[in-house]
Amino acid sequence: MLQYVLRRILIAVPMLIGAMSIVFFAMRVLPGDPCVAMMGDQATSEALADCTKNLGLNRPLAVQYADYLWRSVRFDFGNSFRQGYPVRDYIARMFPHTFVLVMASAIVAALVGIPIGIVSALKRRNPLIDYPLRIFALLGLSMPVFWLGILLLIVFSLRLNIFPLIGAGDLDGVLAMIGSGEVFLYPRDFLVAVGDVLHHLTLPALALGFTLAATVSRLSRSAMLEVISQDYIRTARAKGHVERVVVYKHALRNMLVPLLTIIGIFVAIALTGTVLTETVFTRPGLGKMLVDAIGARDYPLAQGAITVFTMIIIVVNLVVDMLYAVVDPRITYR
Amino acid sequence: MAIVRRADPVDLAIATAGEAARSARRGRLRRWLPISIGIVLAATMVVVAAAAPLIAPLSPSAQYADAVLKGPGAADRHVLGTDEFGRDVLSRIIWGARVSLEVGLVSVVFAFAVGVPLGIVAGVLGGRVEMLIMRGADMLMAFPTLLLALIIVTALGGSLSNEMLAIGVALTPNFVRLSRSLALTIREQDYILAARALGSGQLRVMARHVFPNALYALVVVATLYIATAIRTEASLSFLGLGIPPPTPSWGNILSEGRQYIKCCPWITTFSGLAIMVAVLAFNLVGDALRDLLDPRLKGE
Repeated sequence: MLQYVLRRILIAVPMLIGAMSIVFFAMRVLPGDPCVAMMGDQATSEALADCTKNLGLNRPLAVQYADYLWRSVRFDFGNSFRQGYPVRDYIARMFPHTFVLVMASAIVAALVGIPIGIVSALKRRNPLIDYPLRIFALLGLSMPVFWLGILLLIVFSLRLNIFPLIGAGDLDGVLAMIGSGEVFLYPRDFLVAVGDVLHHLTLPALALGFTLAATVSRLSRSAMLEVISQDYIRTARAKGHVERVVVYKHALRNMLVPLLTIIGIFVAIALTGTVLTETVFTRPGLGKMLVDAIGARDYPLAQGAITVFTMIIIVVNLVVDMLYAVVDPRITYR
Repeated sequence: MAIVRRADPVDLAIATAGEAARSARRGRLRRWLPISIGIVLAATMVVVAAAAPLIAPLSPSAQYADAVLKGPGAADRHVLGTDEFGRDVLSRIIWGARVSLEVGLVSVVFAFAVGVPLGIVAGVLGGRVEMLIMRGADMLMAFPTLLLALIIVTALGGSLSNEMLAIGVALTPNFVRLSRSLALTIREQDYILAARALGSGQLRVMARHVFPNALYALVVVATLYIATAIRTEASLSFLGLGIPPPTPSWGNILSEGRQYIKCCPWITTFSGLAIMVAVLAFNLVGDALRDLLDPRLKGE
């Protein structure tokens, strides 16, 4: 087991370095000088040379590369070209917004997707149930999250005026209150702020959650189908259990183990989804930060955002692999 | 004395025959309905894209100053309304089908052409070559498709060919992985042994035996990736990183219409609908093909 964990970590490290190298070199082939992008075409050549030197772009590529890797390990991505503040601070500020969105949409996806997957697996011979559920799954897979988001905005924000059009509420304030212990002093203010955050979160979480639910329902359907054909299910039936007990006590628990493996895929899809969702709902977050940074040619910021995305995905996959080994002892690892 | 009517054997036979016929019909319907819908939708899209100059009622770039942000109406010149420059939304969506389909097909062909040979080489040769290829693929797999395509498009700049290349590269590792795993099972077959015994070299084995036997499954999966490619293209264009306006693509029509959702929701609604129908079409065809031709892939 320990050996397996070590092996997985050893595989993850070069992957991380490789992925970061791809980001670095992709950013360096970018057409256009960052300094020109920042200072405009009219900048004097001295000013440009100065800027290049300040940003360290005049050093040999190998040195820049090594420097980038070493700094990334310490979460030091340099300063934003535009605003001049450390990229790390932006990421730290944006991360909670994206985290909350991913979590909320994961809850929506699980609540919608898992039951649908189970029912469609159990009732697969009943076309009246199976067909609508399959159609739902296909629609969810095919509907772009940004379109669904816009439709939700049109209906619930513009027509019915129930949810806000943009923003994310005062999440920073909520976190600060938790950090400083003011939660206990002003519980009412705290609840109001949390309510506001949730109010802003509802539509984005529904949009992203619904598109993710389709994937979850498909995967849980195939997980359920696999479990239901196992010998112990037949044994349970042979012992005379009613179907409900077979499903809830025997099948469901075993089905959750394979579902665990999809968390890795899920996080990858969800993070990609946040790029689009945050843009549609004009919500602060890592995804929107990335898109804005690319638009503004703010390379350190874009590089930092992409690196953090990649790190999250690789680390989550690593953790899931390990969890899987812990949860299911039947599996032996080479 | 109770009178029990015993079922006539002829009756019974007819009943079962009817039942069997009905369930067979249901089975056929279940099997062919989704693929038929998918094929009809996909074929419609291909025809619309190919015949855009003939079908589109107006030029996609013509600006009608008298009809800026006009709502949809069947009686008017603009069936699906106009955008902020007075351009006909229907015509733009029809022309946009070209971009989506071109990017979808070319990027998948690219990923197929690069990924499959690499995957087969890795699967058949094994050893260091395999390790090298697979670690490379794993590294690219660490990025979700959209993110990788986004990085590449940012690096190269937004244009039709760059977008194709970016999405193609982003999809390549998927083909490497799949063709490798297929090659791993195929290379253990007896006919491969027979081919080797007859003196076939590695290259011949790969090209003449492994590749044709993997082709079925690969084509099925390629259909599904066309859907992914179309969706990724739309997402890139939506983020403003795809084909620059004024060339219409569904993503940038939707993105431009976003500012006008309050007054004129038809721009975003119809362009988004087009994206969804196209993705749905290829998903339906791919899904159905997979179930029909290759049950092995069902768990993928």
